[in-house]
Amino acid sequence: MDWPALWLSLQLSLATALILLPLGVFAARWLANSRHPLKPVFEALLALPLVLPPTVLGFYLLVAMGGESTLGIVFQRVFGHTLAFSFTGLLVASVIFNIPFALIPMQRAFETIPTDLHDAARTCGLSRWRTLWRIELPLARRGIASGMIMTAAHTMGEFGVVLMVGGSIPGETRTIAISIYDKVQSFDMQAAGTMSAVLLVLSMTTLLVSAWLLRTPAAARHHG
Amino acid sequence: MTLQALLHQSGPIPLHARIDCAAGELLALVGPSGSGKTSVLRAVAGLMHVGEGRITLGDAVWFDSNKGVHVPAEQRPVGMVFQHYALFPHLSALDNVRLAVPRGAPADAALQLLADMQLDKLSSRRPDELSGGQRQRVALARALARQPQLLLLDEAFSAVDQPTRQSLYDELIKLRERVQLPIVMVTHDLREARLLADRISILDGGTTLQDGPPERVMSQPRNARVAALVGLRDIHAGIFHKATSVGAPARLRWGDAAAGIDLITSDKGRLDDGANVRWVISGEHVQLHAEPGAEPNMVPSELHSMRRLGEIVTLQCRPQALPQARLHLDVTTRFARLLNLQAGTVVHLEIDPQGIHIMPVKRALLDPLA
Repeated sequence: MDWPALWLSLQLSLATALILLPLGVFAARWLANSRHPLKPVFEALLALPLVLPPTVLGFYLLVAMGGESTLGIVFQRVFGHTLAFSFTGLLVASVIFNIPFALIPMQRAFETIPTDLHDAARTCGLSRWRTLWRIELPLARRGIASGMIMTAAHTMGEFGVVLMVGGSIPGETRTIAISIYDKVQSFDMQAAGTMSAVLLVLSMTTLLVSAWLLRTPAAARHHG
Repeated sequence: MTLQALLHQSGPIPLHARIDCAAGELLALVGPSGSGKTSVLRAVAGLMHVGEGRITLGDAVWFDSNKGVHVPAEQRPVGMVFQHYALFPHLSALDNVRLAVPRGAPADAALQLLADMQLDKLSSRRPDELSGGQRQRVALARALARQPQLLLLDEAFSAVDQPTRQSLYDELIKLRERVQLPIVMVTHDLREARLLADRISILDGGTTLQDGPPERVMSQPRNARVAALVGLRDIHAGIFHKATSVGAPARLRWGDAAAGIDLITSDKGRLDDGANVRWVISGEHVQLHAEPGAEPNMVPSELHSMRRLGEIVTLQCRPQALPQARLHLDVTTRFARLLNLQAGTVVHLEIDPQGIHIMPVKRALLDPLA
């Protein structure tokens, strides 16, 4: 069992979910209420990681972060090491490929808030900020939590992008999914089996918690 | 503090509406579904942008398309009650009201508002734990929490059962004794409008057709469309003939030149001789007699059918001289029994010349903004 790899995966999951929480909430809220003509284009762009092969996404990210890209050069000058093949680079990639997993449940949650509640908040004299804190966030909390959980779970299991951008540097970029692959390559089937079982239990737990969070409350079903 | 609103746009929802409502007055916006009455209310609240127009409350300008003024909804001192309550489902009744209480108000203001609505014992309940009527009263308390200068009610009583509605009417009447606000109410229920409103404004296709006290709009509709919208069942055709000498009554020929009945009516000098007209008469201006009499405008008619609805019998009468015409009349069951009325009975309808309301035809609808 590769405990450092599990620990790294957990750190990456948590950091990704925490970064996507504020970004996802604001983007999801904007998309849910927007009538911008380019909204379908934004939605398609943000959902792209769902359909793009992870290696393709990983390739573009690698090129964007590599030592010959502006981003890569600036990063190396400031921090003294490359962005690609570092934990930071992995985190940037992880945030990008998790956008749809965080955004879609959050956007659906904001979309289900009835229009007349927005209108009621305005005629109650609530500012936009107070409406967000007192009305929208509490009503969208299940979707927001679900987006966070899906992001964390997906990060735990992501393989292709991580391998392309991070490689397999122990303690730096070797996540549990990469570690399982390495173990199989070196015929350590027992270690691979243990780690796979851990990931399986984690994933199942995540889905159950997510379903529980998204359940229709009994009171709402007997409405009216 | 008077509300005045002038709204004009050709799309996406066409609006050509004008309303005004003084402090302490209750104005009902009445019209069929899709007539734009809710849009007018939303525009006044600032929830909907309108192409052109002006909305003022007293000296405050909330919207003026010429000067580019648009005060956002949250800054207009408006209390609004929505059709389906629009209570915040995750908050208790008390928190729903408290959220709308402005800063600096007494700490117990929200609870006091709930107490005024006899809801103080239910203040910790969430909306889904309250009945329809209770939710509506919470919504009303919340609308008043802002200490608004204008109260807007959007079909506020349509989603509750009849006994609850009656108690909400009482609540509104009591409220009007306490606060002197302009109140604008949207309703499709004419009975409700007549019961509660000081004035009604008839809207159709986004256009204000007529406004005035309910009894005047209902007995003197400006045109046939208003007559139909206020529920007048019989809109008759006729030809108007001016008085032949000064002081003499005018003549209304019910029907056409070939077949018809001559009725006398008053000449208000607004119609040309021989003009084609539509005319209506409300039930209170028609008297039913069993025997013919010497009174003017006595129309012998056959009772075509009778329909009993509780204490009221609706009679469908067919004038003998104009069998294609119909005149509906409501009488009490007792009266119908007393005269032994049944289908086929010949009755004599006395039509009050003062009650005849004549409307011109083929005249373009008056544009209230013109």
